[in-house]
Amino acid sequence: MNYLKEQTRKQFFGNCGVGLGTLALNQLLGTYSQAKHIPKIDPSNPMSSRKAPLKAKAKNVIYLFMAGAPSQLELFEHKPKLNELNGKAPPPSLLEGRRFAFLKGNEKLLGSTRKFQRHGQCGMTIGETMPHMSKIVDEVTWLRGMTTDVFNHGPAKLFMNTGFQAPGRPSMGSWVTYGLGSESSDLPGFVVLQSGPRGPRAGNSLWASGFLPTSFQGVPFRGKGDPILYLKSPEGMRRDRERTFYDAVRDLNKIRLDDVGDPEILTRINSYEMAYQMQSSAPELMDLSNESEKTMELYGAKKGDASFANNCILARRLIERGTRFVQLYHSNWDSHGGPGETLDKDFEKVCNDVDQASAALILDLKQRGLLEDTLVVWGGEFGRTPMGESRKTTGRDHHIDAFTMWMAGAGIKKGYIHGKTDELGFGIIDGKVHVHDLHATILHLLGFDHEQLTYRFQGREFRLTDVHGNIVKEILA
Amino acid sequence: MNFLRFLSFLLLTEGYLLGSDKILFNRDIRPILSDHCFSCHGPDKRARKADLRLDTYEGAIRDLGGYSAIVPGDPEKSELLLRTIHSDPEELMPPPKSKIPKLDSEKIRLLNQWIKEGAKYQRHWAFTPITDPKRNNKEHLIDHFISKRLKKEGMALSERADPYTLIRRLYLDLTGLLPSPEEVSAFVNDPSEKAYGNLVDDLLKSPHYGERWGRHWLDQARYADSHGYTSDSERQMWPYRDWVIDALNKDMSFDQFTIEQIAGDLLPDATKSQIAATAFHRNTLISQEGGSDPEQFRVEATMDRVNTTGAVWLGLSVGCAQCHDHKFDPISQREYYEMYAFFNSAEDKNNTGPTIPVIEGELINSPEKNEKNKANLMVMRDMKDPRETFLLARGDFTTPDKKTGQLNPGFISAITPDLEQKEGKRSRLDLAKWLVNPKNPLTSRVTVNRTWMRYFGKGIVETEEDFGTRGTLPSHPDLLESMSSYFIDSGWSMKKLHKLIVTSKTYTQSSKVSPQSLKADPGNYLLSRQSRIRLDAEIIRDAALSASGLLSRKIGGPGIRPPQPSGIYAFTQNKKKWNTTTGPDRYRRGMYIVFFRSAPYPLFGTFDVPDFQTTCTRRARSNTPLQALNISNDPAFMEFAQGLALRAIQTIPGEAETTLDERIRLAFKLALSRSPNDREFETLKNYAIEFAKDISAKGDGEDAKSLINEAIAKSAISLDQGAALVAVSRAILNTDNFITRE
Repeated sequence: MNYLKEQTRKQFFGNCGVGLGTLALNQLLGTYSQAKHIPKIDPSNPMSSRKAPLKAKAKNVIYLFMAGAPSQLELFEHKPKLNELNGKAPPPSLLEGRRFAFLKGNEKLLGSTRKFQRHGQCGMTIGETMPHMSKIVDEVTWLRGMTTDVFNHGPAKLFMNTGFQAPGRPSMGSWVTYGLGSESSDLPGFVVLQSGPRGPRAGNSLWASGFLPTSFQGVPFRGKGDPILYLKSPEGMRRDRERTFYDAVRDLNKIRLDDVGDPEILTRINSYEMAYQMQSSAPELMDLSNESEKTMELYGAKKGDASFANNCILARRLIERGTRFVQLYHSNWDSHGGPGETLDKDFEKVCNDVDQASAALILDLKQRGLLEDTLVVWGGEFGRTPMGESRKTTGRDHHIDAFTMWMAGAGIKKGYIHGKTDELGFGIIDGKVHVHDLHATILHLLGFDHEQLTYRFQGREFRLTDVHGNIVKEILA
Repeated sequence: MNFLRFLSFLLLTEGYLLGSDKILFNRDIRPILSDHCFSCHGPDKRARKADLRLDTYEGAIRDLGGYSAIVPGDPEKSELLLRTIHSDPEELMPPPKSKIPKLDSEKIRLLNQWIKEGAKYQRHWAFTPITDPKRNNKEHLIDHFISKRLKKEGMALSERADPYTLIRRLYLDLTGLLPSPEEVSAFVNDPSEKAYGNLVDDLLKSPHYGERWGRHWLDQARYADSHGYTSDSERQMWPYRDWVIDALNKDMSFDQFTIEQIAGDLLPDATKSQIAATAFHRNTLISQEGGSDPEQFRVEATMDRVNTTGAVWLGLSVGCAQCHDHKFDPISQREYYEMYAFFNSAEDKNNTGPTIPVIEGELINSPEKNEKNKANLMVMRDMKDPRETFLLARGDFTTPDKKTGQLNPGFISAITPDLEQKEGKRSRLDLAKWLVNPKNPLTSRVTVNRTWMRYFGKGIVETEEDFGTRGTLPSHPDLLESMSSYFIDSGWSMKKLHKLIVTSKTYTQSSKVSPQSLKADPGNYLLSRQSRIRLDAEIIRDAALSASGLLSRKIGGPGIRPPQPSGIYAFTQNKKKWNTTTGPDRYRRGMYIVFFRSAPYPLFGTFDVPDFQTTCTRRARSNTPLQALNISNDPAFMEFAQGLALRAIQTIPGEAETTLDERIRLAFKLALSRSPNDREFETLKNYAIEFAKDISAKGDGEDAKSLINEAIAKSAISLDQGAALVAVSRAILNTDNFITRE
């Protein structure tokens, strides 16, 4: 047994430092690969932590995904000219070549009723519905020149997550864990949390691993009950009894390994051991009772809620425990003006849901020294139109040509405003950042050249940025 | 042989033609050109630099103004070679800017020798006609080629697997179910030569064969019970699923199977069943998101039909030519849209197709028809006035290329240059016939290779999804040729192909991994042993249902909804209807569980069932802690464990203490089709005894009660002993062995 195990491990991971297991086989035995940043994956533990090939500023990512697309014109883009021209037809030159989801072409410009104020040293203007966020403006780089290619929610969310508008490609979190593995041995490396009235459009394909091995797909944690399905042992199987169960299964698997010699059984033994560990580590993670009252207050979190605020605390706790990539989805930002989607009350509600906790996350990470190597990203799948859209009330349609996101933490400039849009907010004048550029920059901060982190599939090297992407150097600290 | 040497041995010796020292284009040169040159000097016109292409002989020797990239026979005059070692970074190829690595000295040496030998190009192997290599006809076709190759490396096939392993293997592979202990005994105790062959014949006749292999096909058909995208509401495609099961059970020839699914509606006097078959291409996604342009999604669905057809029958990533000429394979963007034209005139109303009413049982030759279960099955039908097809610039539906003009349906010329193109307007039926024309070099190879992959864990061409120039070369080229010929000559009989494979010694050999064979061939490319393969998600459930005796064998009809935990739809846009199925139907096979693309039944996601957004020709096979939690703690698997324990109790009556040994052995046998060895038995017995002791010592009657089911409670067994047997059964179902075909 020992000889075999030894030989197996040697064969599989030892001789040349490359894992020749199910994961790496494809790449080794296909025509040899060109890219330089293909991670060396231990097939018995694909999530084991790996060093980034280049100098990395960030170790972890927390991505706060604002599902439905928040209105930059109510939150971050103060446009006096738009207010002035409220109710007027937009200049035809600005409409040329643009595509919208619902607008018919006769819509009028819509000024914002929100009051804006400059904040901090950087002088970022923030709308009145985000009082907490206005206090962290100097911790953040503001990307006012974001642009995307796709104007429907599902495809646009996919595009923001995978760099491609149809399902089937790996998500950013999958690429990152494929590249870096995870520091945690008893929690998943890529976790998804969700809050708000409904799940994000395009669902599980947003955190799917596509053609990457499924070990790298995001694991959705549920906000209530067990965070992971089937985490709890069946009734009657107490913890000490479970130890004897896992021991018995391990012994049976070891006997089989002796008999048939298949190294895959080693992986199975490891998987079962981690499952047993997770049964205690996951509930411990979800249990906020040892968070101080001060912390709960900072976030505006209440024990037992499945709220964005609670999820932000969980995100921090996950990062503390070694999880690599945490993505939070919060809905519903889709302010078309219809019921539940108005620009007044409904908009205020969703701002209220996320404002305090988003800011608290930055402050909390900072005071714990975690912001230095954690990258925080905040934003939706696109922006909203300067024209009003007439439904039950007047709202705004989807706008892909210019919107705002922000980033903070590891390797990112503090209190920096990048990009500028025209006086009506139709297009970008300066500092344009395409989705592919955002991806390239995130990978850069994590220590990868986005052109070199690839996976070979169907005869081609695929990457998160497809054949595009430029690092946004201006925003790097 | 150390690992690196082994690797280079694989890369260099597994060429398409074996045993030749001469440089061969397909084996030695194409990979170099493809990796380093084709992105700028390949088939893609638009990306081509300096008007130079190196993927054709004519292109490579073309006069570039007094010099040529390649001068056959004269390496020193060949600009290509000079550029690979140029000291000026402006002149060096590939340009450092491109980030494509420069050629190492070994590659340069190969190019040099190749040019010296005359720079002969070869057609890509997979596009050349299928041949039927000579062999010793007395020997089994498969074993002949496998053994020959092993012998060359000083290796041999492993011994035959023991009969217990063999019968479990064959049942799982052909039906996806477990043999009963009686079936195991009968087989093991039959010493006759014929016993195995008879078993193969019986299993190929089993109606569960159609389910097992139908499921593989449904993966490729991206079959699901919901529309996909964001709303992902339910649809009724199950009659198509039933059609597939029935076609396989009837052993419909693969050419007919193809024709009916691609163009059954266009056959003369098409039957209802033939029309239903065209639902294959109605498994595309449907968007119901407000504000979306239906034309965009119609175009996407049409592209998916092209891409799926390319992947399933041709093993090619034709989708690469959607936005530009294929970078590596000879598929132009124009040809992509000519293939697209076959599908572009499908009727479409808000992305849904025309439907036909089908009642349960109608398509599966079943005497029992259930009028109550009726579905409106979406099928293919062409519009009276066909749509115009244009090349879509960058694959964008808003930018049809009107300059190039309207395109007619057409085939990919590089695949069948010698096939005469029929005059006049071609239809989907012509496409279907082209796919299964014996002269089509890909369809048989791709199908045989994929079938092989299911039995051995990987294909003879490992990149089963890519038979193009960037795919891997076949590990056993002659074997692939021979089997591909056999498949066509057998009248495209899928059952004959299965029989050919499972009756080979290559298939029946042991999967035990000896230190020697692991050392010599860790990836088992030469097949000196069988492969241990983890079961597919559905089959894990089916096997547990078989072992527990709960399985309902009903075939076909509307899907089922076994119990699942609440909160599955927390992450989807809309909640789904999940009225838990009651009665024996909830114990039907996994393939009947209603499949929502946005939130599948949890077991499926955990065990690598894809989401069927697009075709799936090969599932991943992961091994994760979530899988361990699923089998350990899913109430369904607890129910199966209880069923298994109950079977042991009922089959072996008597006092708990005196029957414990026998009951453990039986439970083990029901799940693993073999008896435990001494160590396994001791492990389980100790676990059972300790478990029962722990329960009674702590007075945990309540715990024990929750572990057993009602039937166990009613049997004469004590609480602690009953619970211990359930615990043992649970442990057995959680072994690696249980979820593995050995």
